[in-house]
Amino acid sequence: MEVELAEALGRVAPGQFAMLSPGDGSGPLIPRPFSVYDQPAADRLTFLVQVIGPGTQALAAIPVGGSVLCTVPLGNGFVVAPAEREVVFVAGGVGSAPFLLYGRERLRRGGKTTLFFGARSAERLYDREAFEKERLPTVYATDDGSLGFRGNVVACVADALRAGRVGRDALFAACGPEGLLHAFARFAREEGLDGELSLETYMGCGYGVCNACPVATEAEGPLGGWPYAKSCLDGPVFALRSIAF
Amino acid sequence: MLHTRVGTLELLSPLLTGSGTFGHDGAATRFVAAGDLGALVLKTVTPRPRPGNPPPRLVETPSGLLNSIGLENRGLAAFLRDTVPKLETLALPVIANAGGESVADFERMAEAFDAVACFAAIELNLSCPNVKGGLSFSASAAAVEEVVGACRRRTRKPLWAKLSPNVTRIQPLAQAAEAAGADALTVCNTLLGLVIDWRSRKPVLGAGFGGLSGPAVRPVAVRLVAEAQQAVKIPIVGSGGAQCADDVLQFLVAGASAVQVGTVNFRRPDAVSRIAGDMRALLAAEQTTVAALVGSLQMSRKPPPLPTTATAG
Repeated sequence: MEVELAEALGRVAPGQFAMLSPGDGSGPLIPRPFSVYDQPAADRLTFLVQVIGPGTQALAAIPVGGSVLCTVPLGNGFVVAPAEREVVFVAGGVGSAPFLLYGRERLRRGGKTTLFFGARSAERLYDREAFEKERLPTVYATDDGSLGFRGNVVACVADALRAGRVGRDALFAACGPEGLLHAFARFAREEGLDGELSLETYMGCGYGVCNACPVATEAEGPLGGWPYAKSCLDGPVFALRSIAF
Repeated sequence: MLHTRVGTLELLSPLLTGSGTFGHDGAATRFVAAGDLGALVLKTVTPRPRPGNPPPRLVETPSGLLNSIGLENRGLAAFLRDTVPKLETLALPVIANAGGESVADFERMAEAFDAVACFAAIELNLSCPNVKGGLSFSASAAAVEEVVGACRRRTRKPLWAKLSPNVTRIQPLAQAAEAAGADALTVCNTLLGLVIDWRSRKPVLGAGFGGLSGPAVRPVAVRLVAEAQQAVKIPIVGSGGAQCADDVLQFLVAGASAVQVGTVNFRRPDAVSRIAGDMRALLAAEQTTVAALVGSLQMSRKPPPLPTTATAG
Protein backbone atom coordinates (compact mmCIF):
# COMPACT_ATOMS: atom_id res chain seq x y z
CA MET A 1 0.00 0.00 0.00
CA GLU A 2 1.42 3.38 -1.01
CA VAL A 3 0.41 6.58 0.79
CA GLU A 4 0.98 10.12 -0.42
CA LEU A 5 1.35 12.43 2.57
CA ALA A 6 -0.13 15.91 2.83
CA GLU A 7 3.31 17.23 3.76
CA ALA A 8 6.86 16.07 3.19
CA LEU A 9 8.55 14.12 5.94
CA GLY A 10 12.19 13.84 6.98
CA ARG A 11 13.89 10.51 6.49
CA VAL A 12 11.98 7.80 8.37
CA ALA A 13 14.21 5.52 10.45
CA PRO A 14 13.93 1.78 9.77
CA GLY A 15 11.46 0.25 12.20
CA GLN A 16 9.48 3.43 12.76
CA PHE A 17 5.78 2.98 12.18
CA ALA A 18 2.55 4.71 11.18
CA MET A 19 -0.99 4.37 12.50
CA LEU A 20 -3.25 3.77 9.51
CA SER A 21 -7.02 3.79 9.04
CA PRO A 22 -9.44 4.76 6.27
CA GLY A 23 -9.70 8.53 5.94
CA ASP A 24 -13.47 8.41 5.60
CA GLY A 25 -13.86 7.04 9.14
CA SER A 26 -15.00 3.62 7.97
CA GLY A 27 -13.50 0.57 9.61
CA PRO A 28 -12.71 0.06 13.29
CA LEU A 29 -12.60 2.86 15.84
CA ILE A 30 -8.84 2.84 16.25
CA PRO A 31 -6.15 2.71 13.58
CA ARG A 32 -3.59 -0.08 13.23
CA PRO A 33 0.20 0.19 13.43
CA PHE A 34 2.41 -0.69 10.43
CA SER A 35 6.18 -0.46 9.99
CA VAL A 36 7.18 1.88 7.22
CA TYR A 37 8.37 -0.38 4.40
CA ASP A 38 9.85 2.17 2.04
CA GLN A 39 9.98 5.89 1.46
CA PRO A 40 10.18 6.39 -2.30
CA ALA A 41 9.94 10.18 -1.85
CA ALA A 42 9.82 12.64 1.06
CA ASP A 43 6.02 12.64 0.85
CA ARG A 44 5.48 9.00 -0.07
CA LEU A 45 5.51 5.93 2.12
CA THR A 46 4.79 2.31 1.41
CA PHE A 47 3.53 -0.35 3.80
CA LEU A 48 3.12 -4.11 3.72
CA VAL A 49 -0.46 -4.82 4.74
CA GLN A 50 -1.43 -8.43 5.29
CA VAL A 51 -5.21 -8.66 5.48
CA ILE A 52 -6.07 -10.43 8.73
CA GLY A 53 -8.91 -8.74 10.62
CA PRO A 54 -11.35 -5.82 10.37
CA GLY A 55 -8.61 -3.17 10.56
CA THR A 56 -6.61 -4.51 7.64
CA GLN A 57 -9.79 -5.40 5.71
CA ALA A 58 -10.88 -1.77 5.95
CA LEU A 59 -7.49 -0.62 4.66
CA ALA A 60 -7.61 -3.11 1.81
CA ALA A 61 -11.04 -1.78 0.81
CA ILE A 62 -9.75 1.78 0.23
CA PRO A 63 -9.83 2.43 -3.51
CA VAL A 64 -6.74 3.69 -5.30
CA GLY A 65 -6.79 7.48 -4.84
CA GLY A 66 -8.89 7.17 -1.68
CA SER A 67 -7.98 8.89 1.55
CA VAL A 68 -6.03 7.42 4.44
CA LEU A 69 -5.54 8.70 7.96
CA CYS A 70 -1.81 8.30 8.53
CA THR A 71 -0.02 9.40 11.72
CA VAL A 72 3.70 9.11 11.14
CA PRO A 73 6.58 8.78 12.06
CA LEU A 74 6.07 7.00 15.37
CA GLY A 75 8.30 4.90 17.60
CA ASN A 76 12.05 4.65 18.06
CA GLY A 77 13.07 2.51 15.08
CA PHE A 78 16.33 0.64 14.73
CA VAL A 79 19.62 2.40 15.36
CA VAL A 80 21.61 1.50 12.25
CA ALA A 81 24.65 -0.43 13.43
CA PRO A 82 28.11 0.88 12.46
CA ALA A 83 29.96 -0.77 9.56
CA GLU A 84 32.33 -2.67 11.88
CA ARG A 85 29.41 -4.63 13.28
CA GLU A 86 27.94 -7.59 11.43
CA VAL A 87 24.16 -7.43 11.31
CA VAL A 88 21.73 -10.32 10.83
CA PHE A 89 18.09 -9.62 10.01
CA VAL A 90 15.57 -12.26 11.05
CA ALA A 91 12.23 -11.71 9.30
CA GLY A 92 9.04 -13.74 9.25
CA GLY A 93 6.38 -12.96 6.63
CA VAL A 94 5.51 -9.25 6.54
CA GLY A 95 8.01 -8.87 9.39
CA SER A 96 10.43 -8.10 6.58
CA ALA A 97 8.96 -4.57 6.48
CA PRO A 98 11.60 -2.67 8.52
CA PHE A 99 14.50 -4.42 6.82
CA LEU A 100 14.22 -2.84 3.40
CA LEU A 101 15.12 0.61 4.77
CA TYR A 102 17.56 -0.88 7.27
CA GLY A 103 19.21 -3.08 4.65
CA ARG A 104 19.59 -0.23 2.19
CA GLU A 105 21.20 1.93 4.88
CA ARG A 106 23.59 -0.87 5.77
CA LEU A 107 24.55 -1.36 2.13
CA ARG A 108 25.27 2.36 1.90
CA ARG A 109 27.40 2.42 5.06
CA GLY A 110 29.05 -0.96 4.57
CA GLY A 111 29.42 -3.91 6.92
CA LYS A 112 28.40 -7.54 6.58
CA THR A 113 24.61 -7.81 6.51
CA THR A 114 22.45 -10.86 5.90
CA LEU A 115 18.68 -11.13 5.74
CA PHE A 116 17.14 -14.41 6.87
CA PHE A 117 13.68 -14.28 5.39
CA GLY A 118 11.19 -16.97 6.38
CA ALA A 119 7.58 -17.81 5.58
CA ARG A 120 5.32 -20.81 5.21
CA SER A 121 5.98 -21.05 1.50
CA ALA A 122 7.80 -19.24 -1.29
CA GLU A 123 4.76 -17.22 -2.37
CA ARG A 124 4.45 -15.86 1.17
CA LEU A 125 7.92 -14.33 1.02
CA TYR A 126 6.20 -11.07 0.15
CA ASP A 127 7.92 -8.79 -2.31
CA ARG A 128 11.23 -10.62 -2.00
CA GLU A 129 12.24 -9.15 -5.35
CA ALA A 130 12.63 -5.78 -3.60
CA PHE A 131 15.43 -7.19 -1.43
CA GLU A 132 16.99 -8.95 -4.42
CA LYS A 133 16.94 -5.68 -6.33
CA GLU A 134 18.92 -4.05 -3.52
CA ARG A 135 21.37 -6.97 -3.72
CA LEU A 136 21.00 -7.54 -0.01
CA PRO A 137 22.49 -10.96 0.83
CA THR A 138 19.42 -13.04 1.64
CA VAL A 139 18.82 -16.57 2.91
CA TYR A 140 15.28 -17.90 2.45
CA ALA A 141 13.56 -20.36 4.74
CA THR A 142 10.20 -21.92 4.00
CA ASP A 143 8.24 -24.36 6.13
CA ASP A 144 7.33 -26.43 3.06
CA GLY A 145 10.79 -26.21 1.52
CA SER A 146 9.47 -24.50 -1.62
CA LEU A 147 12.41 -22.09 -1.51
CA GLY A 148 15.71 -22.19 0.37
CA PHE A 149 16.08 -23.81 3.78
CA ARG A 150 13.28 -26.19 4.75
CA GLY A 151 12.09 -25.18 8.19
CA ASN A 152 11.46 -22.02 10.14
CA VAL A 153 13.69 -19.00 10.00
CA VAL A 154 15.06 -19.45 13.53
CA ALA A 155 16.25 -22.96 12.68
CA CYS A 156 17.76 -21.50 9.52
CA VAL A 157 19.69 -18.89 11.52
CA ALA A 158 20.84 -21.60 13.96
CA ASP A 159 22.10 -23.63 11.03
CA ALA A 160 24.05 -20.67 9.62
CA LEU A 161 25.48 -19.92 13.04
CA ARG A 162 26.72 -23.50 13.45
CA ALA A 163 28.25 -23.44 9.99
CA GLY A 164 29.98 -20.14 10.74
CA ARG A 165 28.21 -18.28 7.92
CA VAL A 166 27.19 -15.64 10.44
CA GLY A 167 29.22 -14.60 13.46
CA ARG A 168 28.21 -15.13 17.07
CA ASP A 169 29.09 -11.52 17.83
CA ALA A 170 26.75 -10.15 15.14
CA LEU A 171 23.77 -7.97 16.07
CA PHE A 172 20.56 -9.93 15.40
CA ALA A 173 17.48 -7.85 14.56
CA ALA A 174 14.17 -9.71 14.41
CA CYS A 175 10.68 -8.79 13.26
CA GLY A 176 7.67 -10.97 12.59
CA PRO A 177 4.71 -12.73 14.16
CA GLU A 178 4.70 -13.14 17.92
CA GLY A 179 5.39 -16.89 17.80
CA LEU A 180 8.51 -16.31 15.72
CA LEU A 181 9.71 -13.54 18.03
CA HIS A 182 9.26 -15.74 21.09
CA ALA A 183 11.14 -18.58 19.39
CA PHE A 184 13.90 -16.23 18.32
CA ALA A 185 14.17 -14.60 21.78
CA ARG A 186 14.49 -18.02 23.41
CA PHE A 187 17.12 -19.10 20.92
CA ALA A 188 19.11 -15.86 21.18
CA ARG A 189 19.12 -16.02 24.99
CA GLU A 190 20.24 -19.66 24.97
CA GLU A 191 23.04 -18.85 22.56
CA GLY A 192 23.99 -15.62 24.30
CA LEU A 193 23.41 -13.53 21.15
CA ASP A 194 22.98 -9.76 21.13
CA GLY A 195 19.53 -9.16 19.71
CA GLU A 196 16.86 -6.58 19.03
CA LEU A 197 13.16 -7.26 18.50
CA SER A 198 10.62 -5.11 16.69
CA LEU A 199 7.40 -6.03 18.50
CA GLU A 200 3.91 -6.26 17.05
CA THR A 201 2.12 -5.04 20.18
CA TYR A 202 -1.57 -4.19 20.05
CA MET A 203 -1.79 -0.40 20.36
CA GLY A 204 -4.56 2.08 21.09
CA CYS A 205 -2.99 5.36 20.02
CA GLY A 206 0.60 4.83 18.83
CA TYR A 207 1.86 8.09 20.35
CA GLY A 208 2.13 7.39 24.05
CA VAL A 209 -1.12 8.54 25.62
CA CYS A 210 -3.30 5.44 26.07
CA ASN A 211 -0.97 3.12 28.03
CA ALA A 212 -2.50 0.12 26.28
CA CYS A 213 0.67 -1.34 24.73
CA PRO A 214 2.68 -2.39 27.78
CA VAL A 215 5.76 -4.56 27.32
CA ALA A 216 7.12 -6.18 30.49
CA THR A 217 10.63 -4.94 31.19
CA GLU A 218 13.62 -6.92 32.45
CA ALA A 219 14.25 -5.79 36.03
CA GLU A 220 18.04 -5.81 35.54
CA GLY A 221 17.93 -4.21 32.09
CA PRO A 222 18.12 -0.58 30.90
CA LEU A 223 14.32 -0.14 31.17
CA GLY A 224 14.14 -1.92 34.52
CA GLY A 225 13.10 1.20 36.46
CA TRP A 226 9.43 0.46 35.71
CA PRO A 227 7.62 -2.88 35.21
CA TYR A 228 6.25 -1.91 31.80
CA ALA A 229 7.60 -0.05 28.80
CA LYS A 230 5.37 1.51 26.15
CA SER A 231 5.76 -0.31 22.87
CA CYS A 232 4.84 2.83 20.93
CA LEU A 233 7.30 5.26 22.57
CA ASP A 234 10.04 3.09 24.08
CA GLY A 235 9.73 0.68 21.15
CA PRO A 236 8.60 -0.92 18.97
CA VAL A 237 12.31 -1.89 18.78
CA PHE A 238 13.66 -3.28 22.05
CA ALA A 239 17.02 -4.73 22.96
CA LEU A 240 16.48 -8.33 24.03
CA ARG A 241 18.17 -7.63 27.38
CA SER A 242 15.72 -4.81 28.20
CA ILE A 243 12.44 -6.74 28.01
CA ALA A 244 11.00 -9.85 29.62
CA PHE A 245 9.61 -11.21 26.38
CA MET B 1 -17.28 32.04 20.00
CA LEU B 2 -15.91 28.95 21.76
CA HIS B 3 -15.33 30.77 25.04
CA THR B 4 -16.87 29.14 28.09
CA ARG B 5 -16.76 29.19 31.87
CA VAL B 6 -16.70 26.34 34.32
CA GLY B 7 -17.47 28.15 37.57
CA THR B 8 -14.70 30.70 38.04
CA LEU B 9 -12.52 29.09 35.40
CA GLU B 10 -12.52 30.94 32.07
CA LEU B 11 -11.67 28.73 29.10
CA LEU B 12 -10.93 29.70 25.49
CA SER B 13 -12.64 26.55 24.31
CA PRO B 14 -15.10 24.07 25.84
CA LEU B 15 -12.98 21.19 24.57
CA LEU B 16 -10.94 19.41 27.20
CA THR B 17 -9.11 16.11 27.07
CA GLY B 18 -10.57 13.23 29.03
CA SER B 19 -8.34 11.99 31.80
CA GLY B 20 -6.07 9.18 30.67
CA THR B 21 -6.45 9.91 26.97
CA PHE B 22 -3.80 12.56 26.37
CA GLY B 23 -0.95 11.61 28.66
CA HIS B 24 0.58 12.86 31.90
CA ASP B 25 3.11 15.40 30.75
CA GLY B 26 1.52 17.63 28.12
CA ALA B 27 3.76 16.36 25.30
CA ALA B 28 0.70 15.54 23.17
CA THR B 29 -0.53 19.16 23.20
CA ARG B 30 1.93 19.82 20.35
CA PHE B 31 -0.64 18.20 18.06
CA VAL B 32 -3.38 20.78 18.79
CA ALA B 33 -3.48 24.46 17.90
CA ALA B 34 -3.59 27.16 20.57
CA GLY B 35 -7.13 28.12 21.53
CA ASP B 36 -8.66 24.82 20.43
CA LEU B 37 -8.00 22.94 23.65
CA GLY B 38 -9.61 24.73 26.60
CA ALA B 39 -7.65 22.78 29.20
CA LEU B 40 -5.54 19.68 29.44
CA VAL B 41 -6.96 17.17 31.91
CA LEU B 42 -4.17 14.87 33.03
CA LYS B 43 -4.12 11.14 33.49
CA THR B 44 -4.89 10.05 37.04
CA VAL B 45 -2.06 10.24 39.55
CA THR B 46 -2.20 8.17 42.73
CA PRO B 47 -0.22 8.59 45.96
CA ARG B 48 1.80 5.43 45.38
CA PRO B 49 3.18 4.03 42.11
CA ARG B 50 0.84 1.65 40.28
CA PRO B 51 2.26 -0.72 37.64
CA GLY B 52 -1.10 -0.98 35.89
CA ASN B 53 -2.93 -4.11 34.83
CA PRO B 54 -1.50 -7.04 32.89
CA PRO B 55 -2.10 -6.92 29.13
CA PRO B 56 -4.23 -7.04 27.10
CA ARG B 57 -5.50 -3.71 28.32
CA LEU B 58 -7.70 -2.75 25.41
CA VAL B 59 -10.23 -4.47 23.21
CA GLU B 60 -12.46 -2.99 20.52
CA THR B 61 -16.21 -3.44 20.76
CA PRO B 62 -18.90 -2.28 18.33
CA SER B 63 -18.42 1.51 18.28
CA GLY B 64 -16.39 1.45 21.46
CA LEU B 65 -13.30 0.46 23.37
CA LEU B 66 -13.16 -1.55 26.56
CA ASN B 67 -10.06 -0.74 28.61
CA SER B 68 -8.48 -1.81 31.84
CA ILE B 69 -5.25 0.17 32.01
CA GLY B 70 -5.36 0.06 35.80
CA LEU B 71 -4.22 3.64 36.50
CA GLU B 72 -0.60 2.94 35.56
CA ASN B 73 1.45 5.81 36.99
CA ARG B 74 4.69 6.35 38.85
CA GLY B 75 3.09 7.85 41.92
CA LEU B 76 2.80 11.33 43.38
CA ALA B 77 6.45 11.90 44.32
CA ALA B 78 7.77 11.02 40.85
CA PHE B 79 4.97 13.05 39.24
CA LEU B 80 5.81 16.18 41.23
CA ARG B 81 9.53 15.76 40.59
CA ASP B 82 9.61 14.69 36.91
CA THR B 83 6.35 15.74 35.29
CA VAL B 84 5.15 18.96 36.90
CA PRO B 85 8.18 20.96 35.61
CA LYS B 86 7.11 20.01 32.05
CA LEU B 87 3.51 21.03 32.74
CA GLU B 88 4.64 24.42 34.05
CA THR B 89 5.90 25.31 30.58
CA LEU B 90 2.52 24.76 28.88
CA ALA B 91 0.57 27.78 27.69
CA LEU B 92 -2.87 26.45 28.57
CA PRO B 93 -4.78 25.58 31.76
CA VAL B 94 -3.88 22.23 33.26
CA ILE B 95 -6.33 20.24 35.35
CA ALA B 96 -4.81 17.57 37.55
CA ASN B 97 -6.65 14.31 38.18
CA ALA B 98 -6.35 12.55 41.52
CA GLY B 99 -7.01 8.92 42.30
CA GLY B 100 -6.75 6.89 45.45
CA GLU B 101 -7.99 3.97 47.44
CA SER B 102 -8.98 5.79 50.62
CA VAL B 103 -10.20 9.17 51.82
CA ALA B 104 -6.73 9.79 53.23
CA ASP B 105 -5.24 9.11 49.76
CA PHE B 106 -7.50 11.71 48.17
CA GLU B 107 -6.74 14.25 50.91
CA ARG B 108 -3.04 13.78 50.32
CA MET B 109 -3.47 14.26 46.58
CA ALA B 110 -5.62 17.38 47.02
CA GLU B 111 -3.09 18.92 49.36
CA ALA B 112 -0.17 18.15 47.04
CA PHE B 113 -1.98 19.42 43.92
CA ASP B 114 -3.10 22.56 45.74
CA ALA B 115 0.57 23.52 46.03
CA VAL B 116 1.19 23.26 42.26
CA ALA B 117 0.73 26.74 40.85
CA CYS B 118 0.03 25.69 37.26
CA PHE B 119 -3.00 23.56 38.12
CA ALA B 120 -6.17 25.45 37.30
CA ALA B 121 -8.40 22.84 38.95
CA ILE B 122 -8.33 19.39 40.50
CA GLU B 123 -10.53 16.59 39.19
CA LEU B 124 -11.23 13.72 41.57
CA ASN B 125 -11.42 10.32 39.91
CA LEU B 126 -14.12 8.88 42.14
CA SER B 127 -15.23 6.48 39.52
CA CYS B 128 -12.49 4.60 37.79
CA PRO B 129 -13.91 1.09 37.82
CA ASN B 130 -10.58 -0.67 37.58
CA VAL B 131 -9.23 -0.15 41.06
CA LYS B 132 -10.30 -1.88 44.21
CA GLY B 133 -12.19 0.76 46.17
CA GLY B 134 -12.67 3.05 43.16
CA LEU B 135 -16.22 2.00 42.53
CA SER B 136 -17.27 2.33 46.15
CA PHE B 137 -16.65 6.09 46.24
CA SER B 138 -18.80 6.83 43.25
CA ALA B 139 -21.48 4.28 44.06
CA SER B 140 -22.51 5.79 47.38
CA ALA B 141 -23.66 9.35 48.05
CA ALA B 142 -22.21 9.21 51.56
CA ALA B 143 -18.80 8.18 50.23
CA VAL B 144 -18.85 10.90 47.57
CA GLU B 145 -19.72 13.47 50.20
CA GLU B 146 -16.99 12.26 52.52
CA VAL B 147 -14.18 12.25 49.99
CA VAL B 148 -15.15 15.52 48.28
CA GLY B 149 -15.60 17.18 51.67
CA ALA B 150 -12.19 15.98 52.83
CA CYS B 151 -10.53 17.31 49.68
CA ARG B 152 -12.45 20.59 49.95
CA ARG B 153 -10.75 21.24 53.27
CA ARG B 154 -7.34 20.72 51.65
CA THR B 155 -7.57 22.99 48.62
CA ARG B 156 -8.94 26.33 47.46
CA LYS B 157 -8.54 25.39 43.82
CA PRO B 158 -11.67 24.49 41.86
CA LEU B 159 -12.57 20.91 42.70
CA TRP B 160 -14.30 18.74 40.09
CA ALA B 161 -15.91 15.46 41.08
CA LYS B 162 -15.86 12.90 38.26
CA LEU B 163 -18.86 10.63 38.64
CA SER B 164 -19.51 7.11 37.49
CA PRO B 165 -22.32 6.10 35.15
CA ASN B 166 -22.51 2.71 36.87
CA VAL B 167 -25.30 3.76 39.22
CA THR B 168 -29.07 3.52 39.21
CA ARG B 169 -29.57 7.26 39.66
CA ILE B 170 -26.90 9.92 39.31
CA GLN B 171 -28.81 12.79 40.96
CA PRO B 172 -28.12 11.81 44.62
CA LEU B 173 -24.41 11.50 43.82
CA ALA B 174 -24.36 14.83 42.00
CA GLN B 175 -26.11 16.47 44.95
CA ALA B 176 -23.73 14.84 47.44
CA ALA B 177 -20.72 16.21 45.59
CA GLU B 178 -22.28 19.67 45.40
CA ALA B 179 -23.18 19.64 49.11
CA ALA B 180 -19.62 18.70 49.99
CA GLY B 181 -18.24 21.69 48.12
CA ALA B 182 -17.43 20.49 44.61
CA ASP B 183 -17.14 23.36 42.12
CA ALA B 184 -18.12 21.22 39.14
CA LEU B 185 -19.06 17.68 38.16
CA THR B 186 -17.53 15.64 35.40
CA VAL B 187 -20.23 13.38 33.98
CA CYS B 188 -19.21 10.66 33.41
CA ASN B 189 -16.49 7.98 33.53
CA THR B 190 -16.51 4.71 31.55
CA LEU B 191 -19.26 2.12 31.70
CA LEU B 192 -18.24 -1.14 33.32
CA GLY B 193 -18.16 -3.96 30.79
CA LEU B 194 -16.89 -7.43 29.99
CA VAL B 195 -15.72 -9.06 26.77
CA ILE B 196 -15.24 -12.82 26.86
CA ASP B 197 -13.23 -15.20 24.74
CA TRP B 198 -15.82 -17.96 25.03
CA ARG B 199 -13.52 -20.69 23.77
CA SER B 200 -11.06 -20.19 26.62
CA ARG B 201 -13.91 -19.20 29.00
CA LYS B 202 -11.79 -16.22 29.99
CA PRO B 203 -12.14 -12.44 29.77
CA VAL B 204 -10.24 -10.92 26.86
CA LEU B 205 -8.76 -8.19 29.06
CA GLY B 206 -5.96 -9.14 31.40
CA ALA B 207 -7.75 -7.63 34.36
CA GLY B 208 -11.17 -9.13 33.56
CA PHE B 209 -13.68 -6.27 33.54
CA GLY B 210 -12.99 -3.00 31.79
CA GLY B 211 -14.42 0.45 31.22
CA LEU B 212 -16.34 1.09 27.99
CA SER B 213 -15.70 4.36 26.14
CA GLY B 214 -16.22 5.71 22.65
CA PRO B 215 -19.30 6.56 20.60
CA ALA B 216 -21.25 3.59 22.00
CA VAL B 217 -21.55 5.31 25.39
CA ARG B 218 -22.29 8.85 24.18
CA PRO B 219 -26.11 8.75 24.42
CA VAL B 220 -25.82 7.42 27.98
CA ALA B 221 -23.39 10.18 28.95
CA VAL B 222 -25.53 12.92 27.34
CA ARG B 223 -28.57 11.63 29.22
CA LEU B 224 -26.65 11.61 32.51
CA VAL B 225 -25.52 15.21 31.92
CA ALA B 226 -29.12 16.24 31.33
CA GLU B 227 -30.21 14.47 34.52
CA ALA B 228 -27.37 15.78 36.66
CA GLN B 229 -27.85 19.38 35.58
CA GLN B 230 -31.45 19.28 36.78
CA ALA B 231 -30.25 18.20 40.21
CA VAL B 232 -27.46 20.71 40.91
CA LYS B 233 -26.52 24.38 40.43
CA ILE B 234 -22.79 23.82 39.92
CA PRO B 235 -21.50 23.51 36.34
CA ILE B 236 -21.15 20.18 34.59
CA VAL B 237 -18.35 18.96 32.36
CA GLY B 238 -19.59 16.36 29.91
CA SER B 239 -17.56 13.27 29.11
CA GLY B 240 -18.35 10.11 27.21
CA GLY B 241 -17.85 9.21 23.58
CA ALA B 242 -17.80 12.65 21.97
CA GLN B 243 -16.08 12.18 18.60
CA CYS B 244 -17.08 15.19 16.53
CA ALA B 245 -18.46 18.72 16.76
CA ASP B 246 -22.06 17.52 16.62
CA ASP B 247 -21.48 15.28 19.63
CA VAL B 248 -19.88 18.09 21.63
CA LEU B 249 -22.77 20.44 20.83
CA GLN B 250 -25.23 17.83 22.10
CA PHE B 251 -23.41 17.74 25.44
CA LEU B 252 -23.55 21.54 25.65
CA VAL B 253 -27.28 21.63 25.00
CA ALA B 254 -27.77 18.88 27.59
CA GLY B 255 -26.19 21.16 30.17
CA ALA B 256 -22.43 20.74 29.99
CA SER B 257 -20.32 23.91 30.18
CA ALA B 258 -17.34 22.06 28.75
CA VAL B 259 -16.82 18.67 27.16
CA GLN B 260 -13.99 16.21 27.53
CA VAL B 261 -13.00 14.23 24.46
CA GLY B 262 -11.13 11.02 25.06
CA THR B 263 -11.21 7.96 22.88
CA VAL B 264 -11.16 10.00 19.67
CA ASN B 265 -7.67 11.22 20.65
CA PHE B 266 -6.46 7.66 20.13
CA ARG B 267 -7.73 7.77 16.58
CA ARG B 268 -5.85 10.93 15.77
CA PRO B 269 -3.73 13.20 17.97
CA ASP B 270 -5.13 16.36 16.35
CA ALA B 271 -8.76 15.39 17.00
CA VAL B 272 -9.39 18.35 19.32
CA SER B 273 -8.31 20.86 16.70
CA ARG B 274 -10.46 19.27 14.05
CA ILE B 275 -13.50 19.31 16.33
CA ALA B 276 -12.83 22.94 17.30
CA GLY B 277 -12.68 23.96 13.64
CA ASP B 278 -15.92 22.18 12.84
CA MET B 279 -17.60 23.72 15.90
CA ARG B 280 -16.67 27.24 14.81
CA ALA B 281 -18.21 26.59 11.41
CA LEU B 282 -21.39 25.07 12.87
CA LEU B 283 -21.84 27.84 15.46
CA ALA B 284 -21.27 30.53 12.84
CA ALA B 285 -23.80 28.93 10.52
CA GLU B 286 -26.31 28.76 13.37
CA GLN B 287 -25.37 32.28 14.55
CA THR B 288 -24.92 31.14 18.11
CA THR B 289 -22.19 30.61 20.69
CA VAL B 290 -21.11 27.97 23.17
CA ALA B 291 -22.35 30.09 26.07
CA ALA B 292 -25.80 30.41 24.49
CA LEU B 293 -26.12 26.69 23.94
CA VAL B 294 -25.18 25.47 27.41
CA GLY B 295 -28.23 23.95 29.09
CA SER B 296 -30.63 25.01 26.34
CA LEU B 297 -32.30 21.61 26.12
CA GLN B 298 -36.06 21.73 25.66
CA MET B 299 -36.94 18.34 26.93
CA SER B 300 -40.61 17.67 27.04
CA ARG B 301 -42.49 16.68 23.99
CA LYS B 302 -45.97 15.76 25.13
CA PRO B 303 -47.43 12.63 23.59
CA PRO B 304 -50.55 13.09 21.46
CA PRO B 305 -53.84 12.53 23.27
CA LEU B 306 -55.24 9.04 23.01
CA PRO B 307 -58.31 8.69 20.78
CA THR B 308 -61.49 8.78 22.84
CA THR B 309 -62.36 5.21 21.90
CA ALA B 310 -59.18 4.01 23.57
CA THR B 311 -59.77 5.94 26.78
CA ALA B 312 -63.44 4.93 27.03
CA GLY B 313 -62.81 1.26 27.91
